[in-house]
Amino acid sequence: MNADTPAIAIDRLRRRFGANDAVNGLTLNVPRGSCYGFFGRNGAGKTTTIKCLLDLLRPTAGTVRVFGMDPARDEVEVKSRLAYVPDNVAFYPWMTVRDTLDYFASFRRKWNAETERALLDRFQLDLWRKTGHLSKGQRTQLALTAAICGEPELLVLDEPTSGLDPIVRREFIQTVIGAFQDADPGQRTVFVSTHLIAEFEGLIDRFTIIEKGRELLTLEADSARERYKKVHARFASEPADLDVAGARVMRRRGREIELLVNGNAADVLARLSAQSPETLTTEALTLEEIFVTTLQPGPAV
Amino acid sequence: MRFQLNFKSGKPVYLQMVDQVKAAVAAGALRDGEPLPSIRPLAEELRVNRNTVAKAYTELEAQGVIETLAGKGCFVRAAASPLRKDARVRLLAESVDEAVVQAHHLQIDKSEFVRLAEDRFDRFADQRDRAARG
Repeated sequence: MNADTPAIAIDRLRRRFGANDAVNGLTLNVPRGSCYGFFGRNGAGKTTTIKCLLDLLRPTAGTVRVFGMDPARDEVEVKSRLAYVPDNVAFYPWMTVRDTLDYFASFRRKWNAETERALLDRFQLDLWRKTGHLSKGQRTQLALTAAICGEPELLVLDEPTSGLDPIVRREFIQTVIGAFQDADPGQRTVFVSTHLIAEFEGLIDRFTIIEKGRELLTLEADSARERYKKVHARFASEPADLDVAGARVMRRRGREIELLVNGNAADVLARLSAQSPETLTTEALTLEEIFVTTLQPGPAV
Repeated sequence: MRFQLNFKSGKPVYLQMVDQVKAAVAAGALRDGEPLPSIRPLAEELRVNRNTVAKAYTELEAQGVIETLAGKGCFVRAAASPLRKDARVRLLAESVDEAVVQAHHLQIDKSEFVRLAEDRFDRFADQRDRAARG
């Protein structure tokens, strides 16, 4: 296999349920070594797409490839190279944490006992506790630990932080992704689906926003923050004819105006400064704000 | 060395790190031969992807600011820029251009701008002296 083969390649994927297309012509490529965000509202088609990657669902049309392989034909090979953590993890409740990890390890060719020890320590998981007695947060910590100890090349996370304590979740996602990627820098890929985007702000290299089963926007996180800007201007008096073509007016009150621009900030700023504003500031949108803007109906920016 | 990242600045996160290391070196907060934090703990502390930190360090190495010693980590290099003077001047001119544009928007005129540049130079020199004495 070529080193440039994407970790995930999805081409015009369609998956129909009855009369509805849950995924409708989705195309995306996840480069190896990246941390890729798959953003969409509930029901946008994220989980259906992930299930096609894992051969839990078969595509109605289009193709999915994992490391260049077809998950339906090369099921074992694909599954041995990835680990998947669903949003609601179920363990056998009568097994202890130790039993559960051993059980997971029994399916894996490799098992990194050192990573296991480090993460159990960090999360302070009690090895002898039955999984049925773990909190939701602890169950997710256990699932993530089990996922990365098998040293997969691709980690697929479906809403890993939903329903968790907001203080805990950011930290442990960071810990797990850090431990996972650091073990083989540049080669380990994370594909994370979520609608809680703020938590992944610094982690995401590249992302796709999906809506109604289709790709709406794919960008590098850095370029996205360079492109989408909020511009705020205050004038000495209310400007009579302000040319804000190419920008979306977010708020306009008397002498103040707040605009949203997409890629043409310089142009809009030049026109605003021609009106000699008292103050003129710009700031980048966060990934979450970009997500909201992209999904918001209204004049295009 | 403390990093302060701002996702709202619109400047790529790795470039913010590059500039902050360069500023720290210029101000003497980081001296020749001093180590930079290793990638993973720093990524965790700053809540960014390790790829971002790795990219910043690669860029700093390409610019000759730091060097990587296998198995030991990244260290500040003695200030010998690998670039020729005219190339270095060109690089700086780009940054000055940005500042000039910004000055125009903020209605800062040329004499004020030049005075400010002198002030900043002196401030860095002060910091460096203090760091050297410290």
